[in-house]
Amino acid sequence: MTEETMSAFDGIDEGPLPSDAARASAPRFPASQSADPTIVALGERFGERILGQRVSAGDQHVVWIDSGAILEVMTWLKEDARQAFDMMSDVTGIDYGQGRPVEVVYQMYSTRHKHALRVRCPLDTDPLEIDSVAVLWRSANWLEREVYDMFGVAFRGHPDLRRILMPIDYAEGHPLRKDFPLRGRFSRAEQTRRALNQDVDRFYSEEILAQGREAQEAARPEIGTRGANEGEV
Amino acid sequence: MGLMDRLPGSGSAPTSGGIFGQGGPTFLTSKIDAIVNWGRLNSLWPMPFGTACCAIEMMASAASNYDIARFGMERMSFSPRQADVLICAGRVPYKLAPVLRRIWDQMPQPKWCISMGACASSGGVFDVYSMVQGIDTIVPVDVYIPGCPPRPEGLIYGLMMIQEKIRQESLSKHFEHRSEDPLLVAQPNANEQEIVGLTGPFGNSTRQERLSSGAVPRGETRRNPIYD
Amino acid sequence: MARKTVEIPVGRNPEMGVDGRPVASPLQPFDIPEPEFGTERMLINIGPQHPATHGVLRLVCELDGETVTSVIPDIGYLHSSFEKLGEYRTWNQIVTLTDRMDYLAPLIYNCAYVMSVEKLMGIEVTERCKVVRVILMEMDRIFGHLLWLGTTAIDVGAFTPFLYAFQERENIYQLHEKLTGARITTSATRVGGMMADLPEGWTEQLRTFLRKFPDTLAEIDRLLTRNQIHIGRTQGVGAISAEDAINYGFTGPNLRATGVDYDVRKDRPYYDYETYDFEIPIGRHGDCYDRYLCRMEEMRQSVRILHQALDRLPGGPINVDDPSISLPSKTDAMSDMESMIHHFKLITEGIPAPEGDCYYAVEGSKGELGMYVVAEEGGTKPVRWRIRPPSFVNLSVIPKLAEGHMVADLIMINASLDIVLGEIDR
Repeated sequence: MTEETMSAFDGIDEGPLPSDAARASAPRFPASQSADPTIVALGERFGERILGQRVSAGDQHVVWIDSGAILEVMTWLKEDARQAFDMMSDVTGIDYGQGRPVEVVYQMYSTRHKHALRVRCPLDTDPLEIDSVAVLWRSANWLEREVYDMFGVAFRGHPDLRRILMPIDYAEGHPLRKDFPLRGRFSRAEQTRRALNQDVDRFYSEEILAQGREAQEAARPEIGTRGANEGEV
Repeated sequence: MGLMDRLPGSGSAPTSGGIFGQGGPTFLTSKIDAIVNWGRLNSLWPMPFGTACCAIEMMASAASNYDIARFGMERMSFSPRQADVLICAGRVPYKLAPVLRRIWDQMPQPKWCISMGACASSGGVFDVYSMVQGIDTIVPVDVYIPGCPPRPEGLIYGLMMIQEKIRQESLSKHFEHRSEDPLLVAQPNANEQEIVGLTGPFGNSTRQERLSSGAVPRGETRRNPIYD
Repeated sequence: MARKTVEIPVGRNPEMGVDGRPVASPLQPFDIPEPEFGTERMLINIGPQHPATHGVLRLVCELDGETVTSVIPDIGYLHSSFEKLGEYRTWNQIVTLTDRMDYLAPLIYNCAYVMSVEKLMGIEVTERCKVVRVILMEMDRIFGHLLWLGTTAIDVGAFTPFLYAFQERENIYQLHEKLTGARITTSATRVGGMMADLPEGWTEQLRTFLRKFPDTLAEIDRLLTRNQIHIGRTQGVGAISAEDAINYGFTGPNLRATGVDYDVRKDRPYYDYETYDFEIPIGRHGDCYDRYLCRMEEMRQSVRILHQALDRLPGGPINVDDPSISLPSKTDAMSDMESMIHHFKLITEGIPAPEGDCYYAVEGSKGELGMYVVAEEGGTKPVRWRIRPPSFVNLSVIPKLAEGHMVADLIMINASLDIVLGEIDR
C-alpha cells in the first residue's frame, strides 16, 4: 500500500462524523408571533417567562419557557380549563453541542381540546437542573429518568431519579451529549470487563424498593382505580 | 447354539423377524461415536436467547411454515439446565452480557452455541458504546449465521452445520473438548488484545481474518492506533 | 367520529358461566379461613431471559406469597442507542435503523420517520405514495397485532392461536419480501417517497390475503373470546381507569380499552385518514380482556381500511419529482450529467434540511408513535432524532396495574400491554 492510499484512511478510526456543528446563524429564541390561543394565553399570563415562540414545520406551535418557571407554567397548562393538557406525550432533551445550552423539550397534548403544544426549556450549564413535572403527569416519571440518563439533567423533586437504560453504575458519562464519543469512553475490553463483573442483584436493595413503593403510594389517594371486584357487569 | 438361539428373531416362530428379515439377527453394530452423535444431533434442544428481530425469525422457524420440529428442535428449552444449543438471536448490549454468560455457564456439557444474525456475530450495524461487538468475546461460538435477520432457511442451515459439527465429534476427545475450567465462569471468552482490536477501523469479530493487504500475519498482534 | 364500543355478551362475574347461570363450585373462597402466620416478603426476579417477558425485560417482584406487592421493571437490556446513531447518519440512512426498533411492525416505523422528516422539510409526497403508505401501515398493524395475539395466547396457555397467527403472518412476510426483498427489516420508505413502487401482482396477493384472513381471525376468536379459561385469566385483571390512563401516558389500544377515544388517526389525521370509513373500538373496563377485544376489532377495522385503500390506489409516480430529494432513475443518472450530479450529491451528502424541529405522531400498532427530528440549517444529518416509543410509556404503568394481583396475572398484564423491547430500549 502506498503512502497516498494509506493517508486516505486517516481519521477513519473516529468513525462516521456526527451532524454538522451548531451554527450561530439561527436565532435561539425566535420572536415570531404564533397565533395559537394557548401561546397567546401563556403570553398574557406569564409574559416575562416566555423566551420565544415559533411555528415550526408549518403548523406546530413551539414556545420557549424560562426553566425556573417550568413547574408553574406546567401546572397552569394542565389545570386551566381552556388549556387542559392532560397528556404529557414526551419529555426529551436536545444537546446542540458547541457550548449551546441543553434544552428539555416537552410534547403535550390535550385530549379534551385535541390540541398539541411543544414547550422547550433551555437550561443553565451549571447546575444542569430543572424541576420535575412527574407530580403532574405520571408519564413524565420514566421519560425524565431517560433524559437524566442520556443527558445528565437532574430533575428536582423526581421521586426516583436513577439511570434507566444504561446500567445504574455506568461510569462513562451521559451518552447523548455531543461530547460523548459514539463508541464510548472506555476501551472495548474495559467495557466487556465491567459488563461481566456486574452484580445485578445489588441494585434492588430494600431502599430502592421502598423508594418505589413510596412513589406508588403517593399517587394512590388522588386518582381512583376501578378495581376488579367492584361489581361492574 | 448359545447366544444366537436366545436372541429374538433367531428362531423360526412366525413372530420372529429381525432387521435383516426372517430368521436374521436383531442387532447391528456401529461405533459408539456414531450412535451417540446421531442421538445428540437429532434431538438438540435449543435454548433460545432471543433479544431482537432475529428472535422473530427464530419464532417463525419454529412455526408451521419452516418448522424446526422436523429436526427434533421444537422443544425450546427456556431453562438452560436442559438445553443443548444456545441460539443467541439478536443484539446483545453490555448490560445483557453477564446474563448471556451466566446462561451459558448454566448449560451443562455437551453444549454448542449459535450466533444468529449480524449483531450477535459482530455487533452488526451497532458499533456503539453499549453494544457487544460479537458475542464471541463472551461465549465460545460454534456457528455464526450472517444476515439481518437471517431467513429461517438460514437459521436451519446453521442448525444443520451444528449437526454436521456434532457428527464429527468423538467421545474419545470428550475430556479435551468438553471440559470447562470453573475459573473461567463469568470471564470473557477473548483476551484483551482481541477485544481492543474490535475498535479499529476494520475492527470486527475476533475470529474473522482481515483480508485487505496490510493484514497482520497470523500469530502477530495488531497494533491498535487508538490505544497503542 | 365513529366509535364502536366493543361489548361481547359474556358474564363478568367470575362465578357466572358464559350462559349466565352460576357455576357451582364445591367450596367458595370465602369459606376457607385465612391462615394466620407472619410472612416475609420475597424478592424474585423475572427475566431478562424469560419466555413470557416478550423480550429482554427484567421484572423484579416483591411477593407476599403469590401476590405481587410491588414490581419494578428494569429495562435497558436492548439499548442500542439508535438515537445517537441517528446523529451520525444522513436522513435516508436512518430509515434502515427504524426497522430494527419495532421489529414487529417495521413499516409503521419506516413511514412515521420519513413522514416526520418530510414535514420538517416541507415536502408533499404524491397521492400514490400516500395511499401506498396507508396500505403498508395498516398491513403492519395487522402484522403486529397477530404476533401479539399469538404470544399472548401462549402466555395464557393456548398454543394453537400462535401457530394460526404465524401462518397468517407468513403471508405478510411474503408481501414484505415481494416489495422490499426483506421479510422483517423492510426499510421500504425514503424521504420523498418509497424505495420502490409496488411490484406487479402485489395488490392481488394482498387482496387474496384479505379475503382469507377474516376467517382465520374468526377461528382464533372462537378459540379465545368465549373461552372460560381465557376469560378467567383476563377479565378484571390489570384494570385501570380512564383518567389514570391518560395521566400515565397510555396510548393505543391500551388507552382505548379504558373508554378514551383517542386515536391519532382520528384526532390528528394524516394521509387522508378522515376520508376512510372505519371505526375505532373502545372498551369499557380497561382490563386485559378489553384490550384483547380492542385489538381483535382493530384488526378487522384494518382489513376494512385496506380494502378501501386498495380500491382508491391511484396511478402516477411514487416518488416526488424533485431531483434534489429523490434519486433519479438509473437510466437518467447514466446518461444525463445533471442527474448524475444529483445522484452523487444525494448519496454522498444527503438532503439538506431547513432549520427547525418537527414532532410527528402516527398511530402505531402499540400506541402513539412520535418521531421528533431537530435539524440545523442545511444539515444532512439530524441534530437530534427522538422516538417517542409507545411501549416505553405503556410499560411504566405496570407497577400500578400489577399490584395486588398474582404472579400469573402479572405475566398476563405484561402480555396484554403489547410491548416491544426494541422500541422501549432503543
